[in-house]
Amino acid sequence: MLRDVTFGQYYPADSFVHKMDARIKLVLTLLYMVGIFFVQSFVVFGFVTVLLLAVVLVSRVPLRSVLRSVRGIVVLLVFTAILNLFFTKGADASEQPLWAWSPWNGFTIEIYVNGLKSAAKIFLRLVYLVVGSCILTLTTTPVDLTHAVESLLKPLRVVKFPVHEFALIMSLTLSFIPSLIEETDRIIRAQKARGADFDTGGLVKRAKAFVPILIPLLVGGFRRAEELANAMNSRCYEGATKRTCMRVMKLSWRDLVASLVMVIFFTGVFLLYGMSSKWGGIVWLYY
Amino acid sequence: MPKSEKVTAPTPTVPQNAAIFAQNLNFIYNPKSGFAKHALINVDLTVCQGEFVAIVGHTGSGKTTFVQHLNALIRVQSGYLNVLGQDLSAKKPDLKLLRRQVGMVFQYPEYQLFADTVLADVCFGLKNFGIDKDERENMAREALELVGLDFAKVKDKSPFDLSGGEKRRVALAGVLAMKPKILVLDEPTAGLDPRGKSEILTLVKKLNQTEGVTVLMVSHDMNEVYENANRILVFRDGAIAFDLPPRDLFRMEEEIESMNLEVPAVAAFCNELERRGIVLPKECRTVDETLAAVVALKEARDA
Repeated sequence: MLRDVTFGQYYPADSFVHKMDARIKLVLTLLYMVGIFFVQSFVVFGFVTVLLLAVVLVSRVPLRSVLRSVRGIVVLLVFTAILNLFFTKGADASEQPLWAWSPWNGFTIEIYVNGLKSAAKIFLRLVYLVVGSCILTLTTTPVDLTHAVESLLKPLRVVKFPVHEFALIMSLTLSFIPSLIEETDRIIRAQKARGADFDTGGLVKRAKAFVPILIPLLVGGFRRAEELANAMNSRCYEGATKRTCMRVMKLSWRDLVASLVMVIFFTGVFLLYGMSSKWGGIVWLYY
Repeated sequence: MPKSEKVTAPTPTVPQNAAIFAQNLNFIYNPKSGFAKHALINVDLTVCQGEFVAIVGHTGSGKTTFVQHLNALIRVQSGYLNVLGQDLSAKKPDLKLLRRQVGMVFQYPEYQLFADTVLADVCFGLKNFGIDKDERENMAREALELVGLDFAKVKDKSPFDLSGGEKRRVALAGVLAMKPKILVLDEPTAGLDPRGKSEILTLVKKLNQTEGVTVLMVSHDMNEVYENANRILVFRDGAIAFDLPPRDLFRMEEEIESMNLEVPAVAAFCNELERRGIVLPKECRTVDETLAAVVALKEARDA
Protein backbone atom coordinates (compact mmCIF):
# COMPACT_ATOMS: atom_id res chain seq x y z
CA MET A 1 0.00 0.00 0.00
CA LEU A 2 2.78 2.40 0.85
CA ARG A 3 4.61 1.59 -2.33
CA ASP A 4 2.20 3.77 -4.25
CA VAL A 5 3.87 6.81 -2.74
CA THR A 6 6.95 6.34 -4.82
CA PHE A 7 5.64 7.73 -8.06
CA GLY A 8 8.14 9.17 -10.48
CA GLN A 9 10.67 6.48 -9.69
CA TYR A 10 13.29 5.76 -12.31
CA TYR A 11 11.90 3.69 -15.17
CA PRO A 12 14.73 1.80 -16.80
CA ALA A 13 14.70 1.93 -20.59
CA ASP A 14 17.08 2.54 -23.45
CA SER A 15 15.93 5.72 -25.12
CA PHE A 16 16.97 9.08 -26.47
CA VAL A 17 15.87 10.81 -23.29
CA HIS A 18 17.48 8.26 -20.99
CA LYS A 19 20.79 8.67 -22.76
CA MET A 20 20.81 12.43 -22.54
CA ASP A 21 23.16 14.20 -20.18
CA ALA A 22 21.47 14.63 -16.80
CA ARG A 23 22.67 18.23 -16.55
CA ILE A 24 21.02 19.18 -19.81
CA LYS A 25 17.84 17.36 -18.81
CA LEU A 26 17.77 19.22 -15.53
CA VAL A 27 18.32 22.61 -17.15
CA LEU A 28 15.75 21.95 -19.87
CA THR A 29 13.24 20.83 -17.26
CA LEU A 30 13.79 24.07 -15.38
CA LEU A 31 13.33 26.01 -18.63
CA TYR A 32 10.12 24.09 -19.24
CA MET A 33 8.81 24.77 -15.76
CA VAL A 34 9.42 28.47 -16.08
CA GLY A 35 8.08 28.46 -19.60
CA ILE A 36 4.78 26.89 -18.55
CA PHE A 37 3.97 30.03 -16.57
CA PHE A 38 4.26 32.15 -19.70
CA VAL A 39 1.73 30.10 -21.61
CA GLN A 40 -1.43 32.18 -21.85
CA SER A 41 -3.85 30.60 -24.29
CA PHE A 42 -5.42 27.22 -24.77
CA VAL A 43 -3.98 27.04 -28.26
CA VAL A 44 -0.45 27.32 -26.90
CA PHE A 45 -1.33 24.77 -24.22
CA GLY A 46 -2.19 22.55 -27.16
CA PHE A 47 1.32 22.99 -28.54
CA VAL A 48 2.80 22.16 -25.14
CA THR A 49 0.67 19.01 -25.04
CA VAL A 50 2.08 17.93 -28.38
CA LEU A 51 5.60 18.63 -27.16
CA LEU A 52 5.05 16.67 -23.94
CA LEU A 53 3.53 13.72 -25.77
CA ALA A 54 6.45 13.71 -28.18
CA VAL A 55 8.94 13.65 -25.31
CA VAL A 56 7.06 10.82 -23.58
CA LEU A 57 7.00 8.89 -26.84
CA VAL A 58 10.73 9.36 -27.38
CA SER A 59 11.49 8.43 -23.76
CA ARG A 60 9.72 5.07 -24.13
CA VAL A 61 8.14 5.43 -20.70
CA PRO A 62 4.54 4.19 -20.72
CA LEU A 63 2.13 7.12 -20.67
CA ARG A 64 0.36 5.48 -17.78
CA SER A 65 3.31 5.74 -15.41
CA VAL A 66 3.78 9.36 -16.43
CA LEU A 67 0.16 10.19 -15.69
CA ARG A 68 0.26 8.29 -12.43
CA SER A 69 2.38 11.10 -11.05
CA VAL A 70 -0.66 13.39 -11.15
CA ARG A 71 -2.40 11.22 -8.58
CA GLY A 72 -0.30 12.66 -5.80
CA ILE A 73 -1.54 16.21 -6.34
CA VAL A 74 -5.22 15.55 -6.97
CA VAL A 75 -6.27 17.36 -3.79
CA LEU A 76 -4.15 20.38 -4.62
CA LEU A 77 -5.51 20.42 -8.17
CA VAL A 78 -9.14 20.32 -7.11
CA PHE A 79 -8.58 22.92 -4.41
CA THR A 80 -6.85 25.50 -6.62
CA ALA A 81 -9.26 24.93 -9.48
CA ILE A 82 -12.26 25.53 -7.20
CA LEU A 83 -10.72 28.68 -5.71
CA ASN A 84 -10.07 30.06 -9.17
CA LEU A 85 -13.51 29.12 -10.34
CA PHE A 86 -15.34 31.02 -7.62
CA PHE A 87 -13.04 33.96 -6.95
CA THR A 88 -12.36 35.21 -10.46
CA LYS A 89 -14.59 38.12 -11.34
CA GLY A 90 -15.79 39.14 -14.79
CA ALA A 91 -13.79 41.41 -17.06
CA ASP A 92 -15.93 44.42 -16.09
CA ALA A 93 -18.74 45.08 -13.67
CA SER A 94 -21.39 44.92 -16.37
CA GLU A 95 -20.66 41.27 -17.20
CA GLN A 96 -23.38 38.87 -16.08
CA PRO A 97 -22.22 35.73 -14.24
CA LEU A 98 -22.84 32.39 -15.91
CA TRP A 99 -24.29 31.06 -12.71
CA ALA A 100 -25.06 32.58 -9.34
CA TRP A 101 -26.42 31.36 -6.08
CA SER A 102 -27.21 33.33 -2.97
CA PRO A 103 -27.71 31.14 0.08
CA TRP A 104 -28.34 34.19 2.30
CA ASN A 105 -28.46 37.93 1.98
CA GLY A 106 -25.25 39.71 1.11
CA PHE A 107 -23.43 36.56 0.13
CA THR A 108 -23.46 35.23 -3.39
CA ILE A 109 -21.45 32.64 -5.19
CA GLU A 110 -20.91 33.55 -8.81
CA ILE A 111 -19.17 31.89 -11.68
CA TYR A 112 -17.92 33.95 -14.63
CA VAL A 113 -16.53 32.85 -17.95
CA ASN A 114 -13.15 34.13 -16.84
CA GLY A 115 -13.33 31.99 -13.73
CA LEU A 116 -13.90 28.89 -15.79
CA LYS A 117 -10.99 29.79 -18.02
CA SER A 118 -8.56 30.55 -15.25
CA ALA A 119 -9.55 27.41 -13.34
CA ALA A 120 -8.90 25.33 -16.44
CA LYS A 121 -5.57 27.05 -17.04
CA ILE A 122 -4.27 26.67 -13.49
CA PHE A 123 -5.32 23.04 -13.63
CA LEU A 124 -3.43 22.44 -16.87
CA ARG A 125 -0.41 24.36 -15.63
CA LEU A 126 -0.09 22.31 -12.46
CA VAL A 127 -0.62 19.02 -14.27
CA TYR A 128 1.98 19.91 -16.90
CA LEU A 129 4.39 21.05 -14.23
CA VAL A 130 4.21 17.74 -12.41
CA VAL A 131 4.21 15.63 -15.56
CA GLY A 132 7.22 17.50 -16.94
CA SER A 133 9.31 17.13 -13.80
CA CYS A 134 8.23 13.53 -13.57
CA ILE A 135 9.67 12.78 -17.00
CA LEU A 136 13.01 13.95 -15.60
CA THR A 137 12.93 11.62 -12.62
CA LEU A 138 11.50 8.74 -14.65
CA THR A 139 14.37 8.87 -17.13
CA THR A 140 17.24 9.82 -14.82
CA THR A 141 18.67 7.74 -12.00
CA PRO A 142 18.94 9.52 -8.66
CA VAL A 143 22.70 9.13 -8.83
CA ASP A 144 22.91 10.89 -12.17
CA LEU A 145 20.59 13.57 -10.92
CA THR A 146 22.77 14.29 -7.92
CA HIS A 147 25.85 14.42 -10.11
CA ALA A 148 24.04 16.86 -12.33
CA VAL A 149 23.10 19.08 -9.40
CA GLU A 150 26.63 18.97 -8.10
CA SER A 151 28.07 19.83 -11.47
CA LEU A 152 25.64 22.67 -12.07
CA LEU A 153 26.19 24.17 -8.64
CA LYS A 154 29.97 24.10 -8.96
CA PRO A 155 30.26 27.82 -9.67
CA LEU A 156 28.86 28.48 -6.21
CA ARG A 157 32.07 27.15 -4.72
CA VAL A 158 33.50 30.59 -5.30
CA VAL A 159 31.27 31.88 -2.51
CA LYS A 160 32.21 28.92 -0.29
CA PHE A 161 28.97 27.06 -0.81
CA PRO A 162 29.52 23.37 0.15
CA VAL A 163 28.42 22.00 -3.20
CA HIS A 164 29.64 18.46 -2.74
CA GLU A 165 28.12 18.12 0.72
CA PHE A 166 24.85 19.47 -0.60
CA ALA A 167 24.79 16.88 -3.37
CA LEU A 168 25.70 14.18 -0.88
CA ILE A 169 22.81 15.13 1.40
CA MET A 170 20.53 15.01 -1.61
CA SER A 171 21.62 11.57 -2.72
CA LEU A 172 21.46 10.17 0.81
CA THR A 173 17.94 11.51 1.22
CA LEU A 174 16.88 9.88 -2.02
CA SER A 175 18.48 6.57 -1.19
CA PHE A 176 16.87 6.46 2.25
CA ILE A 177 13.33 6.82 0.94
CA PRO A 178 12.77 3.17 -0.09
CA SER A 179 14.21 1.78 3.12
CA LEU A 180 12.13 4.16 5.21
CA ILE A 181 9.01 3.07 3.39
CA GLU A 182 9.89 -0.55 4.00
CA GLU A 183 10.54 0.15 7.67
CA THR A 184 7.22 1.98 8.04
CA ASP A 185 5.47 -0.98 6.52
CA ARG A 186 7.15 -3.31 8.97
CA ILE A 187 6.37 -1.19 12.01
CA ILE A 188 2.73 -0.91 10.98
CA ARG A 189 2.49 -4.66 10.73
CA ALA A 190 4.23 -5.18 14.07
CA GLN A 191 1.87 -2.78 15.87
CA LYS A 192 -1.15 -4.30 14.14
CA ALA A 193 -0.05 -7.67 15.43
CA ARG A 194 -0.23 -6.15 18.92
CA GLY A 195 -3.82 -5.16 18.26
CA ALA A 196 -3.25 -1.57 17.12
CA ASP A 197 -6.19 -0.24 15.16
CA PHE A 198 -5.60 2.47 12.57
CA ASP A 199 -8.89 2.35 10.74
CA THR A 200 -11.63 3.14 13.24
CA GLY A 201 -12.46 5.91 15.68
CA GLY A 202 -12.58 9.67 15.49
CA LEU A 203 -9.93 12.04 14.22
CA VAL A 204 -8.14 12.39 17.55
CA LYS A 205 -8.11 8.65 18.15
CA ARG A 206 -6.72 8.00 14.71
CA ALA A 207 -4.07 10.68 15.07
CA LYS A 208 -3.04 9.15 18.38
CA ALA A 209 -2.86 5.74 16.75
CA PHE A 210 0.06 7.00 14.68
CA VAL A 211 2.31 7.64 17.67
CA PRO A 212 3.36 3.96 17.87
CA ILE A 213 4.45 4.20 14.24
CA LEU A 214 6.10 7.60 14.18
CA ILE A 215 8.29 7.17 17.24
CA PRO A 216 9.94 3.91 16.16
CA LEU A 217 10.33 5.41 12.70
CA LEU A 218 12.10 8.50 14.04
CA VAL A 219 14.28 6.46 16.36
CA GLY A 220 15.12 4.19 13.44
CA GLY A 221 15.94 7.17 11.26
CA PHE A 222 18.43 8.50 13.78
CA ARG A 223 19.90 5.04 14.22
CA ARG A 224 20.43 4.63 10.50
CA ALA A 225 21.92 8.10 10.17
CA GLU A 226 24.36 7.41 12.95
CA GLU A 227 25.32 4.03 11.54
CA LEU A 228 25.92 5.60 8.15
CA ALA A 229 27.98 8.40 9.65
CA ASN A 230 30.10 5.86 11.50
CA ALA A 231 30.54 3.78 8.36
CA MET A 232 31.66 6.85 6.42
CA ASN A 233 33.99 8.00 9.17
CA SER A 234 35.59 4.61 9.51
CA ARG A 235 36.32 4.65 5.78
CA CYS A 236 37.93 8.06 6.14
CA TYR A 237 35.34 9.73 3.96
CA GLU A 238 36.31 13.29 3.31
CA GLY A 239 33.93 15.43 1.31
CA ALA A 240 35.11 17.08 -1.82
CA THR A 241 38.85 16.71 -1.53
CA LYS A 242 40.19 15.44 -4.82
CA ARG A 243 37.43 13.01 -5.57
CA THR A 244 36.89 11.79 -9.09
CA CYS A 245 33.71 10.45 -10.58
CA MET A 246 33.27 6.90 -11.81
CA ARG A 247 30.95 8.05 -14.52
CA VAL A 248 32.10 11.18 -16.29
CA MET A 249 29.25 13.08 -17.87
CA LYS A 250 29.70 13.97 -21.51
CA LEU A 251 27.58 16.01 -23.85
CA SER A 252 26.48 14.39 -27.10
CA TRP A 253 24.50 15.25 -30.22
CA ARG A 254 21.33 14.26 -28.39
CA ASP A 255 21.79 17.06 -25.92
CA LEU A 256 22.29 19.54 -28.72
CA VAL A 257 19.16 18.41 -30.57
CA ALA A 258 17.01 18.41 -27.45
CA SER A 259 18.32 21.78 -26.33
CA LEU A 260 17.64 23.32 -29.75
CA VAL A 261 14.07 22.01 -29.83
CA MET A 262 13.30 23.20 -26.33
CA VAL A 263 14.98 26.58 -26.69
CA ILE A 264 13.22 27.32 -29.96
CA PHE A 265 9.87 26.24 -28.55
CA PHE A 266 10.10 28.34 -25.43
CA THR A 267 11.59 31.33 -27.24
CA GLY A 268 8.32 31.25 -29.15
CA VAL A 269 6.34 31.09 -25.94
CA PHE A 270 8.27 33.99 -24.39
CA LEU A 271 7.97 36.07 -27.57
CA LEU A 272 4.22 35.54 -27.68
CA TYR A 273 3.98 36.62 -24.07
CA GLY A 274 6.12 39.72 -24.62
CA MET A 275 4.31 40.77 -27.75
CA SER A 276 0.82 40.34 -26.36
CA SER A 277 0.25 44.11 -26.19
CA LYS A 278 1.31 44.64 -29.82
CA TRP A 279 -0.43 41.65 -31.33
CA GLY A 280 -3.53 41.99 -29.23
CA GLY A 281 -5.58 41.55 -32.37
CA ILE A 282 -4.79 37.86 -32.71
CA VAL A 283 -7.05 36.93 -29.85
CA TRP A 284 -6.71 33.14 -29.99
CA LEU A 285 -3.06 33.33 -29.09
CA TYR A 286 -3.74 35.03 -25.82
CA TYR A 287 -7.04 33.92 -24.30
CA MET B 1 -30.70 -31.29 -17.26
CA PRO B 2 -28.48 -30.59 -14.32
CA LYS B 3 -28.17 -26.94 -13.50
CA SER B 4 -24.70 -25.58 -13.98
CA GLU B 5 -23.58 -24.62 -10.53
CA LYS B 6 -20.75 -22.47 -9.39
CA VAL B 7 -18.12 -24.84 -8.17
CA THR B 8 -17.05 -24.02 -4.65
CA ALA B 9 -14.71 -26.22 -2.75
CA PRO B 10 -16.47 -27.71 0.26
CA THR B 11 -15.20 -26.43 3.58
CA PRO B 12 -12.64 -29.00 4.64
CA THR B 13 -13.00 -30.68 7.98
CA VAL B 14 -10.43 -29.41 10.39
CA PRO B 15 -8.74 -32.21 12.28
CA GLN B 16 -9.30 -32.13 16.00
CA ASN B 17 -6.51 -30.72 18.07
CA ALA B 18 -5.18 -28.70 15.12
CA ALA B 19 -3.95 -25.23 15.96
CA ILE B 20 -3.27 -24.35 12.35
CA PHE B 21 -4.84 -26.00 9.37
CA ALA B 22 -4.13 -24.83 5.85
CA GLN B 23 -5.31 -26.37 2.64
CA ASN B 24 -4.35 -25.34 -0.85
CA LEU B 25 -3.24 -21.94 0.34
CA ASN B 26 -2.02 -19.70 -2.48
CA PHE B 27 -0.85 -16.14 -2.46
CA ILE B 28 0.22 -13.86 -5.28
CA TYR B 29 1.73 -10.42 -4.76
CA ASN B 30 0.53 -7.73 -7.20
CA PRO B 31 -1.70 -10.22 -9.02
CA LYS B 32 -2.86 -7.94 -11.80
CA SER B 33 0.35 -6.13 -12.67
CA GLY B 34 3.41 -7.19 -14.57
CA PHE B 35 5.27 -7.73 -11.31
CA ALA B 36 3.07 -10.59 -10.15
CA LYS B 37 4.88 -12.93 -7.81
CA HIS B 38 3.53 -16.28 -6.72
CA ALA B 39 4.66 -16.31 -3.10
CA LEU B 40 2.74 -19.33 -1.83
CA ILE B 41 1.85 -22.34 -3.93
CA ASN B 42 -0.64 -24.96 -2.74
CA VAL B 43 0.44 -24.99 0.86
CA ASP B 44 -1.14 -27.82 2.86
CA LEU B 45 -0.30 -27.95 6.52
CA THR B 46 -1.62 -29.11 9.85
CA VAL B 47 0.08 -28.00 13.03
CA CYS B 48 -1.20 -29.54 16.23
CA GLN B 49 -1.49 -27.72 19.50
CA GLY B 50 1.72 -27.81 21.50
CA GLU B 51 4.08 -28.46 18.59
CA PHE B 52 7.39 -26.65 18.17
CA VAL B 53 7.75 -26.12 14.42
CA ALA B 54 10.73 -24.48 12.78
CA ILE B 55 10.41 -22.86 9.37
CA VAL B 56 13.51 -22.57 7.25
CA GLY B 57 14.19 -21.54 3.68
CA HIS B 58 15.77 -18.86 1.59
CA THR B 59 14.85 -15.22 1.55
CA GLY B 60 11.86 -14.97 -0.75
CA SER B 61 10.86 -18.61 -0.30
CA GLY B 62 7.48 -17.63 1.12
CA LYS B 63 8.02 -18.33 4.79
CA THR B 64 7.33 -14.79 5.97
CA THR B 65 4.30 -14.54 3.69
CA PHE B 66 2.95 -17.75 5.16
CA VAL B 67 3.59 -16.72 8.72
CA GLN B 68 1.81 -13.41 8.23
CA HIS B 69 -1.30 -15.24 7.15
CA LEU B 70 -1.59 -16.72 10.61
CA ASN B 71 -2.80 -13.54 12.28
CA ALA B 72 -4.40 -12.09 9.17
CA LEU B 73 -1.78 -9.44 8.51
CA ILE B 74 -2.08 -10.92 5.04
CA ARG B 75 -5.60 -12.02 4.13
CA VAL B 76 -6.26 -15.33 2.45
CA GLN B 77 -6.39 -14.93 -1.33
CA SER B 78 -7.28 -18.45 -2.26
CA GLY B 79 -7.46 -21.70 -0.38
CA TYR B 80 -8.53 -22.48 3.15
CA LEU B 81 -6.92 -21.49 6.42
CA ASN B 82 -8.14 -22.20 9.91
CA VAL B 83 -6.32 -20.92 12.97
CA LEU B 84 -7.55 -21.99 16.41
CA GLY B 85 -10.99 -22.74 15.09
CA GLN B 86 -11.42 -19.51 13.18
CA ASP B 87 -11.90 -19.68 9.45
CA LEU B 88 -9.59 -17.01 8.07
CA SER B 89 -10.86 -17.44 4.53
CA ALA B 90 -14.14 -15.97 5.79
CA LYS B 91 -14.86 -12.33 5.00
CA LYS B 92 -14.75 -11.03 8.55
CA PRO B 93 -12.83 -13.08 11.05
CA ASP B 94 -12.62 -11.74 14.60
CA LEU B 95 -9.26 -10.00 14.19
CA LYS B 96 -8.96 -8.83 17.80
CA LEU B 97 -9.45 -12.31 19.14
CA LEU B 98 -7.16 -13.80 16.52
CA ARG B 99 -4.33 -11.34 17.12
CA ARG B 100 -4.58 -11.84 20.84
CA GLN B 101 -4.32 -15.60 20.42
CA VAL B 102 -1.56 -15.54 17.84
CA GLY B 103 1.38 -13.57 19.17
CA MET B 104 3.76 -12.48 16.46
CA VAL B 105 7.32 -11.44 17.15
CA PHE B 106 8.85 -9.80 14.11
CA GLN B 107 12.49 -9.63 13.15
CA TYR B 108 14.32 -7.15 15.37
CA PRO B 109 11.22 -6.58 17.51
CA GLU B 110 13.06 -3.97 19.58
CA TYR B 111 12.57 -1.55 16.69
CA GLN B 112 8.85 -1.42 17.41
CA LEU B 113 9.24 -0.03 20.94
CA PHE B 114 7.78 3.44 21.27
CA ALA B 115 6.35 4.23 24.71
CA ASP B 116 7.79 6.41 27.49
CA THR B 117 8.21 3.54 29.89
CA VAL B 118 8.79 -0.17 29.62
CA LEU B 119 5.53 -0.81 31.46
CA ALA B 120 3.50 1.28 29.01
CA ASP B 121 5.07 -0.47 26.06
CA VAL B 122 4.37 -3.94 27.37
CA CYS B 123 0.81 -2.83 28.14
CA PHE B 124 0.22 -1.50 24.62
CA GLY B 125 -1.14 -4.77 23.28
CA LEU B 126 -3.15 -5.48 26.42
CA LYS B 127 -4.72 -2.02 26.23
CA ASN B 128 -5.64 -2.56 22.59
CA PHE B 129 -7.36 -5.78 23.51
CA GLY B 130 -9.43 -3.99 26.13
CA ILE B 131 -7.99 -5.35 29.37
CA ASP B 132 -8.51 -3.08 32.36
CA LYS B 133 -5.78 -1.20 34.07
CA ASP B 134 -5.12 -3.25 37.21
CA GLU B 135 -5.16 -6.47 35.30
CA ARG B 136 -2.80 -4.99 32.71
CA GLU B 137 -0.12 -4.25 35.25
CA ASN B 138 -0.29 -7.73 36.67
CA MET B 139 -0.01 -9.32 33.25
CA ALA B 140 2.86 -7.04 32.30
CA ARG B 141 4.68 -7.92 35.50
CA GLU B 142 4.25 -11.59 34.78
CA ALA B 143 5.52 -11.21 31.21
CA LEU B 144 8.53 -9.11 32.18
CA GLU B 145 9.50 -11.58 34.89
CA LEU B 146 9.03 -14.41 32.41
CA VAL B 147 11.61 -12.91 30.06
CA GLY B 148 13.96 -12.50 33.00
CA LEU B 149 13.76 -8.79 33.71
CA ASP B 150 13.38 -7.25 37.16
CA PHE B 151 9.94 -5.68 37.03
CA ALA B 152 10.51 -3.10 39.78
CA LYS B 153 13.78 -2.03 38.21
CA VAL B 154 12.75 -1.63 34.59
CA LYS B 155 9.08 -0.71 34.63
CA ASP B 156 9.57 3.06 34.79
CA LYS B 157 12.66 3.18 32.61
CA SER B 158 12.52 4.38 29.03
CA PRO B 159 12.82 1.37 26.72
CA PHE B 160 15.38 3.33 24.73
CA ASP B 161 17.77 3.42 27.71
CA LEU B 162 18.05 -0.37 27.86
CA SER B 163 20.71 -2.52 26.25
CA GLY B 164 20.03 -4.29 22.95
CA GLY B 165 19.31 -7.65 24.56
CA GLU B 166 17.06 -6.08 27.20
CA LYS B 167 15.14 -4.15 24.54
CA ARG B 168 14.45 -7.34 22.68
CA ARG B 169 13.22 -9.00 25.85
CA VAL B 170 10.90 -6.08 26.54
CA ALA B 171 9.50 -6.38 23.02
CA LEU B 172 9.05 -10.09 23.53
CA ALA B 173 7.29 -9.42 26.83
CA GLY B 174 4.93 -7.09 24.97
CA VAL B 175 3.78 -10.06 22.93
CA LEU B 176 3.90 -12.67 25.69
CA ALA B 177 1.82 -10.48 28.02
CA MET B 178 -1.21 -11.28 25.88
CA LYS B 179 -0.75 -14.97 26.69
CA PRO B 180 -0.98 -16.11 23.09
CA LYS B 181 -1.83 -19.71 22.32
CA ILE B 182 0.32 -19.67 19.23
CA LEU B 183 3.64 -17.88 19.23
CA VAL B 184 5.17 -16.98 15.88
CA LEU B 185 8.77 -15.82 15.94
CA ASP B 186 10.62 -14.43 12.95
CA GLU B 187 14.33 -14.91 13.58
CA PRO B 188 14.09 -14.16 17.27
CA THR B 189 17.82 -14.54 17.88
CA ALA B 190 19.20 -12.53 14.96
CA GLY B 191 21.89 -10.13 16.06
CA LEU B 192 22.17 -11.39 19.63
CA ASP B 193 25.28 -12.70 21.35
CA PRO B 194 25.42 -16.45 22.10
CA ARG B 195 24.20 -15.95 25.64
CA GLY B 196 21.29 -13.74 24.57
CA LYS B 197 20.43 -16.34 21.94
CA SER B 198 20.33 -19.23 24.33
CA GLU B 199 18.31 -17.23 26.86
CA ILE B 200 15.62 -16.46 24.29
CA LEU B 201 15.55 -20.03 23.02
CA THR B 202 15.36 -21.46 26.53
CA LEU B 203 12.44 -19.18 27.24
CA VAL B 204 10.60 -20.18 24.07
CA LYS B 205 11.19 -23.84 24.74
CA LYS B 206 9.95 -23.45 28.30
CA LEU B 207 6.75 -21.78 27.08
CA ASN B 208 6.26 -24.61 24.65
CA GLN B 209 6.86 -27.38 27.17
CA THR B 210 5.24 -26.05 30.33
CA GLU B 211 2.47 -23.83 29.00
CA GLY B 212 1.72 -25.83 25.87
CA VAL B 213 2.14 -22.82 23.60
CA THR B 214 2.32 -23.80 19.95
CA VAL B 215 5.53 -22.31 18.53
CA LEU B 216 6.40 -21.50 14.96
CA MET B 217 9.91 -20.18 14.60
CA VAL B 218 11.47 -18.87 11.41
CA SER B 219 15.22 -19.20 11.57
CA HIS B 220 18.35 -19.35 9.48
CA ASP B 221 20.44 -20.95 12.17
CA MET B 222 20.20 -24.69 11.55
CA ASN B 223 21.89 -25.53 14.83
CA GLU B 224 19.25 -23.76 16.87
CA VAL B 225 16.50 -25.23 14.71
CA TYR B 226 17.91 -28.70 15.17
CA GLU B 227 18.19 -28.42 18.90
CA ASN B 228 14.77 -26.97 19.58
CA ALA B 229 12.14 -27.88 17.02
CA ASN B 230 10.17 -31.11 16.90
CA ARG B 231 9.38 -30.59 13.27
CA ILE B 232 10.94 -28.61 10.46
CA LEU B 233 9.23 -27.12 7.43
CA VAL B 234 11.49 -26.28 4.52
CA PHE B 235 10.05 -23.66 2.18
CA ARG B 236 11.31 -23.50 -1.37
CA ASP B 237 9.91 -21.18 -4.04
CA GLY B 238 6.62 -20.72 -2.20
CA ALA B 239 5.95 -24.40 -1.52
CA ILE B 240 6.72 -26.68 1.38
CA ALA B 241 9.56 -28.84 0.07
CA PHE B 242 10.06 -30.90 3.22
CA ASP B 243 8.08 -31.43 6.38
CA LEU B 244 10.06 -33.75 8.63
CA PRO B 245 11.37 -34.27 12.16
CA PRO B 246 14.88 -32.77 12.47
CA ARG B 247 16.83 -35.98 12.51
CA ASP B 248 15.17 -37.30 9.34
CA LEU B 249 15.52 -34.01 7.50
CA PHE B 250 19.22 -33.58 8.08
CA ARG B 251 20.01 -37.15 7.18
CA MET B 252 19.49 -36.06 3.56
CA GLU B 253 22.74 -34.14 3.37
CA GLU B 254 22.75 -33.72 -0.39
CA GLU B 255 19.27 -32.25 -0.65
CA ILE B 256 19.96 -29.95 2.26
CA GLU B 257 23.13 -28.64 0.69
CA SER B 258 21.52 -28.28 -2.73
CA MET B 259 19.09 -25.86 -1.11
CA ASN B 260 22.03 -23.90 0.28
CA LEU B 261 21.15 -24.86 3.81
CA GLU B 262 23.66 -25.98 6.33
CA VAL B 263 23.70 -29.35 8.07
CA PRO B 264 23.87 -28.72 11.82
CA ALA B 265 27.09 -29.84 13.46
CA VAL B 266 25.46 -32.46 15.65
CA ALA B 267 23.51 -33.88 12.72
CA ALA B 268 26.64 -34.03 10.57
CA PHE B 269 28.41 -35.90 13.38
CA CYS B 270 25.54 -38.39 13.74
CA ASN B 271 25.40 -38.88 9.96
CA GLU B 272 29.10 -39.61 9.90
CA LEU B 273 28.70 -42.16 12.70
CA GLU B 274 25.79 -43.77 10.91
CA ARG B 275 27.88 -44.19 7.78
CA ARG B 276 30.26 -46.15 9.97
CA GLY B 277 27.45 -48.26 11.32
CA ILE B 278 26.94 -46.57 14.67
CA VAL B 279 23.37 -45.42 15.18
CA LEU B 280 22.73 -43.02 18.03
CA PRO B 281 19.22 -42.62 19.45
CA LYS B 282 17.03 -40.11 17.64
CA GLU B 283 16.74 -37.85 20.63
CA CYS B 284 20.36 -36.69 20.57
CA ARG B 285 20.10 -33.19 19.28
CA THR B 286 22.40 -31.19 21.50
CA VAL B 287 26.11 -31.64 21.97
CA ASP B 288 25.60 -32.77 25.56
CA GLU B 289 22.98 -35.35 24.66
CA THR B 290 25.12 -36.71 21.87
CA LEU B 291 28.17 -36.90 24.09
CA ALA B 292 26.21 -38.78 26.73
CA ALA B 293 24.89 -41.18 24.10
CA VAL B 294 28.36 -41.85 22.72
CA VAL B 295 29.74 -42.46 26.19
CA ALA B 296 26.84 -44.77 27.03
CA LEU B 297 27.35 -46.66 23.80
CA LYS B 298 31.05 -47.07 24.48
CA GLU B 299 30.44 -48.28 28.04
CA ALA B 300 27.87 -50.78 26.78
CA ARG B 301 30.40 -52.10 24.26
CA ASP B 302 33.22 -52.33 26.77
CA ALA B 303 31.04 -54.17 29.18
